[in-house]
Amino acid sequence: MDTASLQFVLFGLVVAIVSNVSNSRVWRSGTLFFASIVFLGLLAHNPMVFLPLACFLLVGYGGLAMIRRGWPSSPVLGILAVILTYVWLKKYTFLPEHIFLHSPYFTLGLSYIFFRVLHLLIEAGDGSEEMHIGLGAYLLYTLNFTTLVSGPIQRYDQFSRDQFAEEPIALGPRVIGLQVERIVRGFFKVNVLGLLLHAVQEDALVELFQPLPLSTKMFSAFRLAGVYPFFLYANFSGYIDIVIALARLMRVRLPENFDRPFAASSFLDFWNRWHITLSVWLKTYVYNPLLLVLMRRISSPKIQPYLGVFCFFVTFFLVGVWHGRTSEFVVFGLLQGGGVAINKLWQLGLTGTLGRKAYKALASNPIYIGFGRGLTFSWFAFTLFWFWANWKQIDQVFTAVGATQWLTVWLAIWLCATLSLAAWEWIRAVSLSFKTTEGPVLTNRYTRVVYTSALGLATLVMVLMLNQSTPDIVYKAF
Amino acid sequence: MIQSNTLDRASCDRASGGEANLVEAKLPRRDWILLPMLSLLTVCLLAGLTEFTARRIFTSVDTLGEQCMVFNDPATGARGIPNSSCKIKTPEGELTELQFNSCGHRTGMECGPKPPDTYRIVMMGSSYALGLWVPREKTYAALLPTELSRRTGRNIELYNESMSHQFPEIIAAHFNDALKAKPDMVLWTVTAQDMQSGIGVPAPYVARRLSLLERGWNRIKVAFAGKSLVDSISEIFRGSRTATLLGHFLYKSQSQYIKSSIMDPDKVWYLRDPPNADWAKRIHDFDISVAKIAMQAKDADVPLVVVLLPNHVQTDMVSMGQWPAGFNPYELDEALRRIITSHGGTYIDILPDIRHTPSLENGYFAFEGHPDERGHAIFAELLAKELTSGAVPALSITNRAQIP
Repeated sequence: MDTASLQFVLFGLVVAIVSNVSNSRVWRSGTLFFASIVFLGLLAHNPMVFLPLACFLLVGYGGLAMIRRGWPSSPVLGILAVILTYVWLKKYTFLPEHIFLHSPYFTLGLSYIFFRVLHLLIEAGDGSEEMHIGLGAYLLYTLNFTTLVSGPIQRYDQFSRDQFAEEPIALGPRVIGLQVERIVRGFFKVNVLGLLLHAVQEDALVELFQPLPLSTKMFSAFRLAGVYPFFLYANFSGYIDIVIALARLMRVRLPENFDRPFAASSFLDFWNRWHITLSVWLKTYVYNPLLLVLMRRISSPKIQPYLGVFCFFVTFFLVGVWHGRTSEFVVFGLLQGGGVAINKLWQLGLTGTLGRKAYKALASNPIYIGFGRGLTFSWFAFTLFWFWANWKQIDQVFTAVGATQWLTVWLAIWLCATLSLAAWEWIRAVSLSFKTTEGPVLTNRYTRVVYTSALGLATLVMVLMLNQSTPDIVYKAF
Repeated sequence: MIQSNTLDRASCDRASGGEANLVEAKLPRRDWILLPMLSLLTVCLLAGLTEFTARRIFTSVDTLGEQCMVFNDPATGARGIPNSSCKIKTPEGELTELQFNSCGHRTGMECGPKPPDTYRIVMMGSSYALGLWVPREKTYAALLPTELSRRTGRNIELYNESMSHQFPEIIAAHFNDALKAKPDMVLWTVTAQDMQSGIGVPAPYVARRLSLLERGWNRIKVAFAGKSLVDSISEIFRGSRTATLLGHFLYKSQSQYIKSSIMDPDKVWYLRDPPNADWAKRIHDFDISVAKIAMQAKDADVPLVVVLLPNHVQTDMVSMGQWPAGFNPYELDEALRRIITSHGGTYIDILPDIRHTPSLENGYFAFEGHPDERGHAIFAELLAKELTSGAVPALSITNRAQIP
């Protein structure tokens, strides 16, 4: 079963219906556990491939058990064991090849399980009683099928609050309607918009190496770089829409993972809006503790503002590195870390030069915001080359046209992103300004029903189109 | 206690979907009727408007079956009606005239003996060679002799005996007709779709005699006959003009076209690598037909030159330079070369040139699949290049003196 496929949605809906048969938390938890096991079974049919994942979970649970028993240094040992096991199972390429397991095994969702297990260990190590959980709750939390594959990264306290509540959260027709709308929207994003944008990107990549005029190639480079962030957003946020809605139908609220990321006017702001649960996790468990430690050791008021810059760099470097196991992702991390660090330095520099008040005024200037938004988008688009391509492809892409042409392309992307994203924000603001007593017309239930029905029809038609083979010319009317 | 609990939930709901204000509010009774009706109305209106718009933009005209051609002649298969003409239009193309001469051929000349000092090529093939949906003067059949004459400096004419549904076994059965035109060379342009196995004479196209309602009902009956609901819906959708509209834009993407084409691997049997049983059967049948054709050409002392014209998906794969595992656009090309040369014919290969020819992938009607004017122009250019490059000694630019 493909994630975000129609089968996945139907599976989730069936689980939600069964889960709502009883309000009993035992029933709801049993249903979720059974569904998660079935989901794993649908992803891989050979039980042996789950053994390494089971071992990883066991290492994590062993760490929790040691902490609960108060063994000395158990939090550090547990965390280290989990990190090393993760790096080994993910086959990070800086490790020697011969130490890896060479039979195929299941790693889908391991990266997200890793964060959930680490979160439990860190919180338990900090003395949180809430994290002293039984094996059933541990497995339910780590293997929850709605968050298994691509998050969002939910904290255990949030999970247990809804999952183990005596009286589950309300689920009326309005909420159901909103979730159905969200599922349709998510499905459209992944299976229609995402596929179309991916096709545009693939075509642009091919065109770069074809015997075409330079201007055509530059347009291909423009599309290649400019379309991928939208594809990634459609694909990832669409999936998140689906799982958040499915979980809500099961009376569990998952945290939001996206908040209109391309509206961000700076790279720092961008990471507050993109993959929110990941950046919040890393800010909580890397940025804050690191900054605290450094500030304790370095008390110079002149240096202290730059400690934040350093901590931002480390945090977002790790964000990048976590995404993959090859050297490309190290560069991806450097570019993410570098982006936020330079952004922070820029803010510090401007505040120092202009003064806090003047900087605030500048930062709220629509033109400054517009160009900042365009630059943020362009930088993110640039960094993504190290996300989707390998070194060979990166080399081919950047040598397909000359340095001057690439510079022109990036300037064009910046300008187009600035104008189009500003136009989008303006249209959105105008559309939301039409209001009735119940709120904006655009978000009332009648508009939503029209919008969802139209989107549903468009999705159905496009899915039919994308899933049928091209017509055979011989048997046509002629 | 209850109130504080509600507030807490509301704030959490805001964080996960912005539904906070709606959680506790009751849906008005009228909405239980109004909202489903609104949804239904939206779907019907949108679907209807899209189909209506698509039919206005992508119009089609086809009076071929009635005025121009006989499809099910047991003696000849499909053939043109002598001295007839008709207008046709594929939804993606322009209105085009099909005109047949007194011998029932779509060619710019009357049938008869060739003029003196002229090198005559008789072309065989099916709908590609006929130039379906394209004005005759813009087909490769019309452009090729001009280009060859320009390159060789000699007077070269091309008599086009191609006909839609002219599959190899039919060509083999009627090859004598081609030889009657006293050609200096027979050029057979083959496409993968021509290589049908045991298809026989196609059924006549009669749907246009029915009223719109009858046609619609027939389509529904055919769509639902012994199929699953999903397949049936898919079948009905495939026949809509909305599908044409979407396909027209969607299939301009090379990667998407390849993905959609290989979705039913049996339909693209000619791309399968390694070849399957169907591949072997079709190649075997083709070999038999080629043997018959080559023998007749040899007996008449007329050189037989064969070329595979790639279809849309082959072109996309070749021009992209990459294709999914289990497929290979060159596989059929190689097989045809082996067959043609083994029977003493000449095989010319234009596939490698396509990799270096910009934009042939845009030379097809994106949804319908036949080459358009641009495709025909590129085919003419590629054919002229290969025919004069030495593969056919009589047309070789370096051997001008040998041209009769």
